Amino acid sequence: MNRHLVSVLALTLVVAALPASAQDARVEAARKEGKVVWYTSLALSSSEKVAKLFEAAYPGVGVEVHRTGSQRILQRVMQELQANLKLVDVIHTSDAGHFVLLKDKKLLLKYTPAGVDVFPPGFKERDGYYYGLRATVNVIAYNSKIISAAEAPRTWKDLLDPKWKGRLVTAHPGYSGVIATHVLALVHLYGWDYWKQLAQNRLMLVQSAVDPSGVVASGERPVAVNGGDYTFYQTKKKGNPVEIVYPKEGVPLVISPSAIAAGAPHPNAAKLFTDFTFSKEVQQVLADTEGLYTGHPEVTYPTDKPKLGDLRLLPADPDELEKRNEEIKKRFVEFFGA
Amino acid sequence: MPGVTIKGLTKRYGDVAALEGLDLRVEPGELVSLLGPSGCGKTTTLRLVAGFLQPEAGEIWVGDRCLSSPTSVIPPERRRMAMIFQSYALWPHMTVAQNIAYGLRLKPGVPKAARETRVKEMLKVVQLDGYGSRYPGELSGGQQQRVAVARALVVEPEILLLDEPLSNLDANLREEMRFEIRRLHETFAITTLYVTHDQAEAMVISDRVAVLHRGRVVQVGTAEDLFQRPRTRFVAEFIGKTNLVDAVAAEPGVVTRGALRLRVAVTGLKPGAPVVVSIRPHEIRLVARGQPPSPDPNVLAGVVQRASYLGDAVDYQVRVNGSDVALRVTAPPPAVFRSGETVTLALAPEACVPLTEAETP
Amino acid sequence: MTVWLTAALALVVLMALPLGWLGYMSVSSETGATLAHYRAVFTDPHLQKALWNTVVLAFWVGLASLAIGAPMAWLTARTDLPGKRLVRALILASFVTPPFLGAFAWVMLAGPNAGLLNKLYRSVTGAADPLLNVFTMPGLIFVVSIYTFPYVFIMIANTLELIASDLEEAASILGASRVRVALTVTLPMVLPAILSGFILAVLQALALFGSPAILALPAGFHTITTQIWALFQYPPKVEMAAAFSVPLFLATALLLLVQKQLLGRRGYAAIGGKSGQRRQIPLGPWRPPALAGCLGVMACSIFLPYGILAKAAFARAWAQPLTVENVTLGNFALTFGHSATRSAIVNTLELGIMTACVGAGLAALVAYVVNRKLIPGHQLLTFLALAPVVIPGVVLAVALFLAYTRPPLVLYGSLWILFVAYLTKEMPVGYSQSDATFRGVHPELEDAGRILGAGRLRVLGEITAPLARSGIIATWCFVFIGVIRELSASIILFTPNTKVISVVIFDLKEEGEFGAIAVLGLFMLGMTFAAVGVMQTLLGRDVMGAKD
Repeated sequence: MNRHLVSVLALTLVVAALPASAQDARVEAARKEGKVVWYTSLALSSSEKVAKLFEAAYPGVGVEVHRTGSQRILQRVMQELQANLKLVDVIHTSDAGHFVLLKDKKLLLKYTPAGVDVFPPGFKERDGYYYGLRATVNVIAYNSKIISAAEAPRTWKDLLDPKWKGRLVTAHPGYSGVIATHVLALVHLYGWDYWKQLAQNRLMLVQSAVDPSGVVASGERPVAVNGGDYTFYQTKKKGNPVEIVYPKEGVPLVISPSAIAAGAPHPNAAKLFTDFTFSKEVQQVLADTEGLYTGHPEVTYPTDKPKLGDLRLLPADPDELEKRNEEIKKRFVEFFGA
Repeated sequence: MPGVTIKGLTKRYGDVAALEGLDLRVEPGELVSLLGPSGCGKTTTLRLVAGFLQPEAGEIWVGDRCLSSPTSVIPPERRRMAMIFQSYALWPHMTVAQNIAYGLRLKPGVPKAARETRVKEMLKVVQLDGYGSRYPGELSGGQQQRVAVARALVVEPEILLLDEPLSNLDANLREEMRFEIRRLHETFAITTLYVTHDQAEAMVISDRVAVLHRGRVVQVGTAEDLFQRPRTRFVAEFIGKTNLVDAVAAEPGVVTRGALRLRVAVTGLKPGAPVVVSIRPHEIRLVARGQPPSPDPNVLAGVVQRASYLGDAVDYQVRVNGSDVALRVTAPPPAVFRSGETVTLALAPEACVPLTEAETP
Repeated sequence: MTVWLTAALALVVLMALPLGWLGYMSVSSETGATLAHYRAVFTDPHLQKALWNTVVLAFWVGLASLAIGAPMAWLTARTDLPGKRLVRALILASFVTPPFLGAFAWVMLAGPNAGLLNKLYRSVTGAADPLLNVFTMPGLIFVVSIYTFPYVFIMIANTLELIASDLEEAASILGASRVRVALTVTLPMVLPAILSGFILAVLQALALFGSPAILALPAGFHTITTQIWALFQYPPKVEMAAAFSVPLFLATALLLLVQKQLLGRRGYAAIGGKSGQRRQIPLGPWRPPALAGCLGVMACSIFLPYGILAKAAFARAWAQPLTVENVTLGNFALTFGHSATRSAIVNTLELGIMTACVGAGLAALVAYVVNRKLIPGHQLLTFLALAPVVIPGVVLAVALFLAYTRPPLVLYGSLWILFVAYLTKEMPVGYSQSDATFRGVHPELEDAGRILGAGRLRVLGEITAPLARSGIIATWCFVFIGVIRELSASIILFTPNTKVISVVIFDLKEEGEFGAIAVLGLFMLGMTFAAVGVMQTLLGRDVMGAKD
């Protein structure tokens, strides 16, 4: 609670510190527009938190949070475009491939958020159309009440063991960008045969990368084969018996971009919001309470999480993600049935 | 008080003609029944007079106003009529008093106080004094019917229409109500059209009866006219019981069927022409053996085929000797003849009524 | 006259336009007309599997609904079963419960590991394997059946009420036992109703989206409806979706035709003479077990699911026992605090009220015109008003999407496309109720007013309207209830700012947010039962036809 207050205060200071006239003009324009419409795949509670912080810092500009899985967001955006509807301002998903596609179709506005030049290269797009808002890694997680640390799987390969039959849960690349990235990364490591074999362990299918944490916490399936580490971290912090495993073969890194739509109905509010979300204060909030990694070099991370630098990261190529998107979804369905 | 004139009324439903050139005149203050079996078009006629249907041909005049024609129909609400329906059609969401007052409310020049007085008076007339605040659902069938009557009469219509209003009552009540309706008619003297399929009812209630068959009026007259002098086979059979003999006209005043010779009271028959003779069962007298011969010119010998004791009459079937004709005879009790006995039948010439009209196919 | 004609025209446009697009899209491609989509649909092994799964599901749901609904109908309509009113009320509750909510609840009850029933079983018997696994085809069949059997129940119970018991008594006197009488006398007489009920249940199962999406997808299999929905995911294969929808539509139409034939022969209804008194068959020692059986069924569809929903709504962690520290109102705060939820509730209420008002109005208008035969060709109006029942919700949504995402009329993205979908879908129910209402107002009641001097409109206002009022309000309620629980069309036609409660619940499912789902579910049930309450008071009898 205190931390929250501090953040708000800090934010107000940040806001006050920016060049007066330019900032005022933009804030005024944003107030006139009244709101910013945000399609986000960040977990609902996290998204809502960011929204509330923004609304507190800029009274008069509301945030309309529409949270759903990355693939659904893309579907929404494309469907709306087909019907010539201009509804969305800021688009944020966990599938980097989407943004390659959107940029190609000239659906994004070129905008560089303030202060983002110090971010590492993986978080920046060379032409300035989209930037990495947050990052997470795909991990294995298990229910510590049901599985002891000794029995728990330690590597991706461990999951292929038939002893895990009926005890695993996976999220779906057809819904989640985090998972699509994960599937591709493991295809790079072990080929499609890995997934074919894994499917023989009769996994439970859920959709969102957020869902496996609930499944594991309830004990419905004691082991999750993928999922964003931040969601497991949050669940564990709430007191659930969840433990995270960062496999030695490497953890697929998912950098989730954010961009402004070319036809955004509230462009000033969108820019204001984008700056806000990339500011140190908000990025720190993402790291502290949401368990996310960020690109901001000044952000500090909780000590009970490994540093990004200490992990063996398996990065994703956005172009490849975009090209092989169909293939990923199709083959997954082929092996898992739905 | 105007009269009703119906000229050449025709109503078709698709290819089927419900009415075909119907003509009828109802004099001012007269009560005429439309009598006939179901499907003969009597309810259609009534609904045309009421203005719910439009004719394909013909006209309906009330007084000197033409109310219905193929080109225009004055809507029901402006015809100054009232109607009593078979189902009574009392509005269940209004009280008895509100039901009765409904038509008065729509009449100009009747202030509230006058309305209430008239409603009360009418309730007395139909013997439902004090029932004003009840709902129709709380009343018996007979009481509902009287409310319907009150509702129709209170507006002082020029023409009153009744659509089989007694058919939902049980037999005793029906008889009682027949006389009640006749009494009301004599009190108020409104020009009335009354639809029924019950010939006894028609005969009690009406000044004149119009018999309908297949969309046409086949005979109009007083009850006595129709009974004594039916003009067609249909009328003869529909009104009361009768014997029908297919015969041939012989000399003037005589018809024959084989060996059977009957004197009739009509002279203008064409010799050799076929003629149907109607003989009412109660006009045939049975003469017992040994009794003095009757003065009637028609005397037939026959054999009793069956005798049924009915309490207030005895019903015989007698086979006439030397002929294929069997006659039904209704005689007062006691039953003196038994099956198999020979008996003599006597009939006056007036009892043998040649039907003047050929049946239209 | 013009009013009636515009009503007819509206109906035609509602129906014909979307279906036209559906047919067109299913055979269109860049190179002109083609059967390639149909070929793909029927040769793709995944789609074939979905087809097969659907057939299996529908068939078994039909049988199971029959197995549950028919005996219960016989028990309540024919015997001296105790607690009939309670049983009827519970069946009504089953009838109005959205099946997808039931599916959620059963996930919490019978998920193989975390499901409460399985936990109970394991703690009692010490077994390792679960007793029940709801994420299977049998599980899906079970969950769908317990919410579909009311259709069978209503059909058969109403029929049984019409048959005089003299026929059965004749058999009893000759020495037949109760069971024998039921099997050899009653059964043949209600056979048309039984078959008709079976078909209704099958139709329901064919068109469901929510329950298969919740139970089948995690288990790795599709049905036609979920597959059509999946074809809409990016990149959308709209032509395939259209081609896949057409067989579903044809199958539904065929089944309905068969059902109409069965009922049209008046296999039920009074068999000559006065329909006599109905005397009840005494159950004797079978009374308690029979009641227990009925309540057992109701436990599956009402007590257990509602219970677990309530628990999840008030608990921090639904799978943990309900201790004092687990109880919280936080779920309510969280759920109603989300702007998405609040706007969804507003959307649902707006759409519910708007559709109910327009739907009831249109239905009343059409029913009145048809009942009083005001225009020639009124039979066509009846047909049009009832025709939408032939189109499953998903298919309707696909058709509407195709029709209204392109000029001249782009409704997609606004609440209007949902409005059109709901209006079309609920018209048959609204019309049936309005039709029954006006049948109950004898035309002579209006004639009596007219001959006494009232014009047509005055009669309408002073006589017809007061008498039809409660029936029309009931129509309103029927439509309202149908709209707020609709999912299969909404899931395809919504956009982020036109979400409705059912869609939000579905979204939350994909997040695994059981607490929020439970809260919204209870809210939806609350609204539904409020509407039902209004209806029961007005109609003065059981919504399902039994007189109080």
